[in-house]
Amino acid sequence: MPPSESSPADVDLSVQLGRLALPNPILVASGTFGYAREMEQLVDLDRLGGIIPKTITRLPRPGNAPWRTVEASSGLLNSIGLDNDGIDAFLEHHLPYLARLQSPLIVSIAGRSHDEFVAMAAKLAGFSGIDAVELNISCPNVSGGVDFGTDPELCGKLVAGVRGSCDLPILAKLTPNVTSIASIAEAAAAAGADALSLINTVLGMAVDWRQRRPLLGNVLGGLSGPAIKPIALRCVYQVSQAVDIPLVGIGGIATIDDVMEFLVAGASAVQIGTANYYDPAVSMKLLDQLPAAVASLEATRVASVVGSLQRADAPPAAPPASSAT
Amino acid sequence: MSNPLHARHYADRAVQQTVEVVENVKLAVDTYRVRFRCPDMAQRIVPGQFLMLKLSDLTDPLIGRPLALYDTAASGAGAGDVDAVDVVYLVKGKLTSRLAGFRPGQRLDVWGPLGNGFAQQATDHLIMVAGGIGQTPFVALANEALGRRRYGDMTREVARAGRVTLCYGARRADLLAGIEDFERAGVDVKIATDDGSRGYHGLVTDLLKQTLDEAGEDRRIVCCGPEPMMEAVAGVAAGSGTACQVSLETPMACGIGICFTCVAKIRDIDGEWDYKRTCVDGPVFDAASIVW
Ligand SMILES: Cc1cc2nc3c(=O)[nH]c(=O)nc-3n(C[C@H](O)[C@H](O)[C@H](O)COP(=O)(O)OP(=O)(O)OC[C@H]3O[C@@H](n4cnc5c(N)ncnc54)[C@H](O)[C@@H]3O)c2cc1C
Ligand SMILES: Cc1cc2nc3c(=O)[nH]c(=O)nc-3n(C[C@H](O)[C@H](O)[C@H](O)COP(=O)(O)O)c2cc1C
Ligand code: FES
Repeated sequence: MPPSESSPADVDLSVQLGRLALPNPILVASGTFGYAREMEQLVDLDRLGGIIPKTITRLPRPGNAPWRTVEASSGLLNSIGLDNDGIDAFLEHHLPYLARLQSPLIVSIAGRSHDEFVAMAAKLAGFSGIDAVELNISCPNVSGGVDFGTDPELCGKLVAGVRGSCDLPILAKLTPNVTSIASIAEAAAAAGADALSLINTVLGMAVDWRQRRPLLGNVLGGLSGPAIKPIALRCVYQVSQAVDIPLVGIGGIATIDDVMEFLVAGASAVQIGTANYYDPAVSMKLLDQLPAAVASLEATRVASVVGSLQRADAPPAAPPASSAT
Repeated sequence: MSNPLHARHYADRAVQQTVEVVENVKLAVDTYRVRFRCPDMAQRIVPGQFLMLKLSDLTDPLIGRPLALYDTAASGAGAGDVDAVDVVYLVKGKLTSRLAGFRPGQRLDVWGPLGNGFAQQATDHLIMVAGGIGQTPFVALANEALGRRRYGDMTREVARAGRVTLCYGARRADLLAGIEDFERAGVDVKIATDDGSRGYHGLVTDLLKQTLDEAGEDRRIVCCGPEPMMEAVAGVAAGSGTACQVSLETPMACGIGICFTCVAKIRDIDGEWDYKRTCVDGPVFDAASIVW
């Protein structure tokens, strides 16, 4: 019988994303945590629920011309353009460090074609220390990757192809810049994705009217940060109604309330993105606060909070016990 | 470094803290010096390094802003020890216009020290060239080069300069800030203004050329300011065969190497350029390595 009042110290933080087991649901998002080593002085990397380094591509990419980011109201627009040194440099220079960390390592890849994605995933499968792959089929800043995130059929084929060539757990990272994110999610789930990461950035733009010029070097960019949280929550909720596989919520998460909102709305875990930039230790603060927040719902496991959203017309829950012991 | 792709100066000594403003005083038109108490940072930061500063608990402005170390100081709270950091800022936009209204006791989020700092190279004559708000990294450097102050780890090796000249250009006289601090450090200050309201009427590069004409062979240049001015200074330095380091003011979003906002085109030894992150590979670069 579950205890009527749970103690934060006893809360089981572990969560399961298909074949991938995580020690806790606080992960750091691709492109917002470098290759993790940059953060070793400011964050206890071994405590993280998972690390997703910056997306890698088959060949090195210099990225887009500056300006690469512009601040918006409670948000950030970026057009970095997948600046990276390519998969071989990653495997040689970054993987040895990342593999030594206790946190699960989820490697984010982006291919320009179906075959390139599949070949990259197959290559990763040959290395130890990698716990899963995240398919970045949603970056708004490069042409040629994004179709996989907007066309259910291409998306399904891609996930199936990766599944056939690589035995690592697969997360597919989806874009909100579609008419129906649920239909893309259904295709990815049916093709064997272990989990879905929702969402990548929301397509946007910034203009300098005096100079009559776009501010971003790439004209268009992706919006992230607190400004997009309601959109991300909506996506998690809608997709949770459509598929049975676990979801990872991403978008504007910076406080423990944000984390709990995503869990309740249907995410099994969350990724912290832009908040790492303006509060480098944010992931540690959230980990410190998570057990008490879960316990305040009289839950003993994070997993039992996931998707516990009630109908809007349900009677209000009793207020949480004031002093959880 | 075992990893040739990884920056050499990632945030390996940085701290992140919420700090209290000790004072925030006006130095010139639209220019202020804010002092905050942060003993860990004050004891580690060295000339040419910077820190990130964010207004606590606000999501607009959301992102921190990079600001150079101006100087370290004793706040008076801790037995006269150096426990505070000074930053001098020009009011530009969202964050700095709000910061200008800050009073003692208000709180800021800061993280640092960040970046590489100036390379230690002894010389007879160190020539500093500053434009706009680009004088800020040079007060501490002058103090150190002239043996007046030490920064960071006390065992750190410091390169001395026989003398230091500052060539400082601004649009108008009332924008010049911190000249007394340079004079107190023993720096020979030369001023140029665009409108002739103080000092030489013209470009700071003219002052630099004059200074180079009079200087001996063993000399070095350090430079910080608007990009066109730094490019011009790099050109003068190359033309006169003088080693030159520049501190880039590339916009940044994290300051710690995780966002890839702050890139500049930097040449490697083969002459090929790649985008490098100014926050972890810089902000100080050898002028000859920059593709302007
Ligand atoms: C290493 C380093 C050290 C610095 N040290 C100092 C210092 O000691 N003192 C000081 O006053 N300043 C310094 N700066 C510059 C300082 O960071 C900026 O002036 C500050 O960020 C302005 O913030 P703001 O919110 O007031 O202005 P914002 O509202 O951010 O805008 C300032 C101006 O920058 C432009 N801008 C905004 N975003 C971008 C972008 N992505 N790319 C290019 N331009 C953009 C805007 O159009 C506007 O004109 C330093 C910069 C660096 C990189
Ligand atoms: C500057 C920047 C770079 C990013 N780079 C990547 C990337 O390389 N791969 C990726 O899958 N997502 C990338 N993202 C998207 C984030 O991982 C995340 O999905 C998005 O920013 C929303 O979360 P947030 O609001 O918490 O930042 C990037 C985001 C930003 C702001
Ligand atoms: S400012 Fe983020 S990488 Fe340099």
